[in-house]
Amino acid sequence: MLIQMALQIPQSVQNILIPGTVVLAIAALLGILIVIVSHFFQLPVNEKKDAILSALPGANCGGCGFAGCDGYAQFLADGATNTSLCSVGGAACSIELASILGVEAIFTEPKAARLLCQGTTACTQRRYEYLGTLTCNAAHGLLGGPGACTYGCLGYGDCMTVCAFGAISKKDGIIQVDPNECTACGQCVIMCPKDLLQLLPKSADVAVLCKNGWPGAQTKKNCSVGCIGCQKCAKVCPVGAISMTGPLAVVDQNLCIHCGACVPVCPTQSIVLLEKNI
Amino acid sequence: MKELFIILFSAILVDNFVLSKFLGICSFLGVSKNLKTAMGMSGAVILVMLASTALTWPIQIFLLNPMHLAFLQTLVFILVIAALVQMIEMVMKKTMPPLYNALGIYLPLITTNCAVLGVAILNITKSYSFLDAMINALGGGLGYMLSLFLFSGVRSKVDKADVPAALKGLPITLIAASLVAVSFFGFKGLVENLFS
Repeated sequence: MLIQMALQIPQSVQNILIPGTVVLAIAALLGILIVIVSHFFQLPVNEKKDAILSALPGANCGGCGFAGCDGYAQFLADGATNTSLCSVGGAACSIELASILGVEAIFTEPKAARLLCQGTTACTQRRYEYLGTLTCNAAHGLLGGPGACTYGCLGYGDCMTVCAFGAISKKDGIIQVDPNECTACGQCVIMCPKDLLQLLPKSADVAVLCKNGWPGAQTKKNCSVGCIGCQKCAKVCPVGAISMTGPLAVVDQNLCIHCGACVPVCPTQSIVLLEKNI
Repeated sequence: MKELFIILFSAILVDNFVLSKFLGICSFLGVSKNLKTAMGMSGAVILVMLASTALTWPIQIFLLNPMHLAFLQTLVFILVIAALVQMIEMVMKKTMPPLYNALGIYLPLITTNCAVLGVAILNITKSYSFLDAMINALGGGLGYMLSLFLFSGVRSKVDKADVPAALKGLPITLIAASLVAVSFFGFKGLVENLFS
């Protein structure tokens, strides 16, 4: 009977109906196949991991040491209890993760990356004209870069390219980190060929912004704001938080009582009050 | 046997899908930024080209041609390839997690990749046998891999070079791609002579 009905349909209509039916049939078949395949190959949904993932900021910066937020979420879902690894989310994120996992929240002090160099174009010169690839790592490979101080910031901004948060900018021949934007993910620290970026607590007040390894006289010749190792700051510090590593003064942020006594005695202004807002 | 080699090598070198036929350009420009993603994408393309050829060739020969519906080719092929990629993705996610992690994120990109559709349609227009078609698909995928491999190398050099401001980014990438494509014209006539 269906065939009889089909024969009564005019040829012109059949020309549309047959291809249409074929395509629809193929589509329906494929649809059914997908449903079947998805039924047999369904993955068990990990609700805990999904909850953790939505609590994480989703920056995928790798600051926690895992390959993106997904890796960290997997790590926590597998039974780990260290909720403080995400520096982007900070304390709020740690509390939220702890409540999902049902464990005690762990806190670490919020940190920010700081550039341990003040060698702007006004303070230091160049030894040679560098015409190569404009990255710090490439320039560093050529006799340690064009800067008169081979320990100083090259300012080509390799750290800037890896910063996912736009916290780093270039200014006066060196880079500068905005501590408010910085999430302490540590990518710039890894990138810097001079090892000049350091994660310091956001509460830190003073730091020696220099990392050179030369004797004082050579430092003084090459940069006007370099630490010359005179030890005045170490002597004036009431709690002994400043120690000398070779010719360089270093502030122990755990011992520092934020009195600021070391800042005025520094003859080269290499130990400074850190700017909280740039 | 000789014909198969001719098909394979002409698909890789002479009729390279990306550099001679200019198919799959968007994914070619998109994932050639570094070698690792380029190789991941190429692996996924090879897999999908083979699988879609294995499916679309019988559909054309045993279903569309006998019913005189060859004009439905494009529509049906897109439908079949899209569904196929979805299914491959699901199966891979469950059974081969490491492979899924390596290729998985590129599979949805391939769903509507014109190079994959191009292979399926060219197999029919050149009236290849099933074996010829599979070899052509393999060659097409390997050719895609070769062009991505070469171009990701070129691109990493271009990224480091001091490019005039007006050409930075996409313009210099397209110019570089065209130069690589021109170099592939050097292979014209190579394969036929190689096996004669």
